[in-house]
Amino acid sequence: MTTTEKKLTGASLLFNVLEQHGVEHVFGYPGGAIMPIYDALYDSGVEHFLCRHEQGAAFSAVGYARASGKVGVCLATSGPGATNLITGLADALADSIPVVAITGQVATAAMGSDAFQEIDIFGLSLACTKHSFQVTNIDDLADVLHQAFAIALEGRQGPVLVDIPKDIQIAAVNGSVDDLVNLQNKVKLPPANVGNALALLNQAKKPILYVGGGVGMANAIDELRDFAKITGLPCVSTLKGLGAIDPEDKYYMGMLGMHGTKASNLAVQECDLLIAVGARFDDRVTGKLNEFAPNAKVIHFDIDTAEINKRRVADASILGDLKVNLPALAIPLSIEPWKAFCLQMNADYAWDYNHPGETIFAPAVLKEISDKMPKNSCVTTDVGQHQMWAAQHMVFDDPSNFLTSAGMGTMGFGIPAAVGAQVSRPTNCIIAISGDGSFMMNVQELSTIKRFQLPVKIVLIDNAKLGMVRQWQDLFFNGRLSETDLADNPDFIMLANAFDIKAQMITKKSEVSAAIEEMLEHDGPYLLQVKIDAQDNVWPLVPPNTANDKMMEST
Amino acid sequence: MNNYQLMISVDDKQVVLERILQVTRYRGFLINGMNAKVNTGTKIGTIELMVSSERPIELLVDQINKLIDIKEVKVDHTAMQ
Ligand SMILES: Cc1ncc(C[n+]2csc(CCOP(=O)(O)OP(=O)(O)O)c2C)c(N)n1
Ligand SMILES: [Mg+2]
Repeated sequence: MTTTEKKLTGASLLFNVLEQHGVEHVFGYPGGAIMPIYDALYDSGVEHFLCRHEQGAAFSAVGYARASGKVGVCLATSGPGATNLITGLADALADSIPVVAITGQVATAAMGSDAFQEIDIFGLSLACTKHSFQVTNIDDLADVLHQAFAIALEGRQGPVLVDIPKDIQIAAVNGSVDDLVNLQNKVKLPPANVGNALALLNQAKKPILYVGGGVGMANAIDELRDFAKITGLPCVSTLKGLGAIDPEDKYYMGMLGMHGTKASNLAVQECDLLIAVGARFDDRVTGKLNEFAPNAKVIHFDIDTAEINKRRVADASILGDLKVNLPALAIPLSIEPWKAFCLQMNADYAWDYNHPGETIFAPAVLKEISDKMPKNSCVTTDVGQHQMWAAQHMVFDDPSNFLTSAGMGTMGFGIPAAVGAQVSRPTNCIIAISGDGSFMMNVQELSTIKRFQLPVKIVLIDNAKLGMVRQWQDLFFNGRLSETDLADNPDFIMLANAFDIKAQMITKKSEVSAAIEEMLEHDGPYLLQVKIDAQDNVWPLVPPNTANDKMMEST
Repeated sequence: MNNYQLMISVDDKQVVLERILQVTRYRGFLINGMNAKVNTGTKIGTIELMVSSERPIELLVDQINKLIDIKEVKVDHTAMQ
């Protein structure tokens, strides 16, 4: 079977394969060792978004993948181009995001000679990708590229890197390009035995559902919501799981863990059965591990065998596709007293938005944005206090509408991720919640926003501090504020204007509502700088290596 | 410290040995010895790995199994002291 008889080069073959996999958009940055690929791009149907740093390209690919459910693709040249991708790949690995990264490499004859812009990116990739390839024979190229897409998507998703030496890019392809044979998921797990889990579920008096990012990755949101509805289980979410649980579910108790709600952390500590679904008992979730949910048996649903018993032993494990396995356990439960107790906690510990004085209260701003943003808006965040406030106070109805660097906690994620999200969902409102520290980490991507006229809305929560680190210094390092003051930040309004981005700064509560409305109604990109008090802290906070019921609260 | 011996069967693909060594180190296992050979006919490699760690061996077996080019990982219980 042939799709074309014409002699191809490796570089043009790359674009043929990308198109076979339905890739319409790629993010990248050119350079010497990838020039043949950029030359072939010129003739291809794939649309390329020039970012202003390869880290921006990698995060845009991540944002694209997370907002759309498709594979994100990024391109970079050899040496520094390739190393600049690494943080984005590490982020994608930690959050299980399907990304294919293509790097140019020096010609095979020059490899291993410390050639100009040569780095062993293949070696570097071992710790920050799900899998990687280096193509040293043109006859392998098509197959490797197909495998890269298959591996990125199968089982637990993740980033795959393909390093292509320059001579392979210009080599003539022998034979012709095969039609795409339907790729099958190679990860084969035995059918799950749910008997034991059903027994545990039936015996439990105080069970709770602990929902992670795996639910969204498995596309099992409907199955999860049905499961929650049929069982009536009280439920909590991880940071990456936010949006999976029906936000209208009255037994939903919010996020758990270090900055989780008081209700969810107390409920989890109290429960006698923890049903973990696509979650991995991350240290930011568990607090002190051996005091986490101390009286609970555990049922663990996952696609990744290696997550079972990794940090917490499971009394029953259900491996495989959540779409198939969740319905098998969906039975009505009689746990009325426990449900009433959880509802009461939700009421007792609801967020309090009363805040004295004229200074702006970030949680209230984020809640108001959340209430006013159009349906199907997609929010990205950077990392720090603003990220935790967004997670706590904004409401999402799908995990693909809340993109945050959860596992890696990478500052600089928010702006390029919003670029990728906007490219994948041009008609949706994309809002990046950033901090004054994080914003500066990929500020060059404002240029990408300008170049493609992307109507991204940026909310810059400005405390003139590396606020989260400052909070820890105040609480756990005797107030010794070391290198966390950003009083000399640039003029963010002038900065935005330099990229043709409309911008406004607000400093008082009375300005908040009008400013949010102006931002949301504005057609193009917009930056709203929100000045807040530098002393504001994120509450509750479970101190490091402490049980989750011993949280510190606002005084 | 517990000593373990692993028998790993792999497709003879690029850097598969490096991947196994990297995962072994990262997951907290010391390598005490190693034997590796490839059957050039079948293109299947066999790696014998002697490791030690405070951690249970299942953690490492699961992580090695996740590597794409791995065919099988067996813990040789007879070799363990
Ligand atoms: C790339 C990177 N470097 C350092 C850190 C450590 N870190 C976590 S939060 C934070 C402060 C972030 O400041 P800002 O973006 O202003 O957010 P704020 O906490 O003030 O809301 C830092 C430095 C990180 N998460 N990522
Ligand atoms: Mg800040």
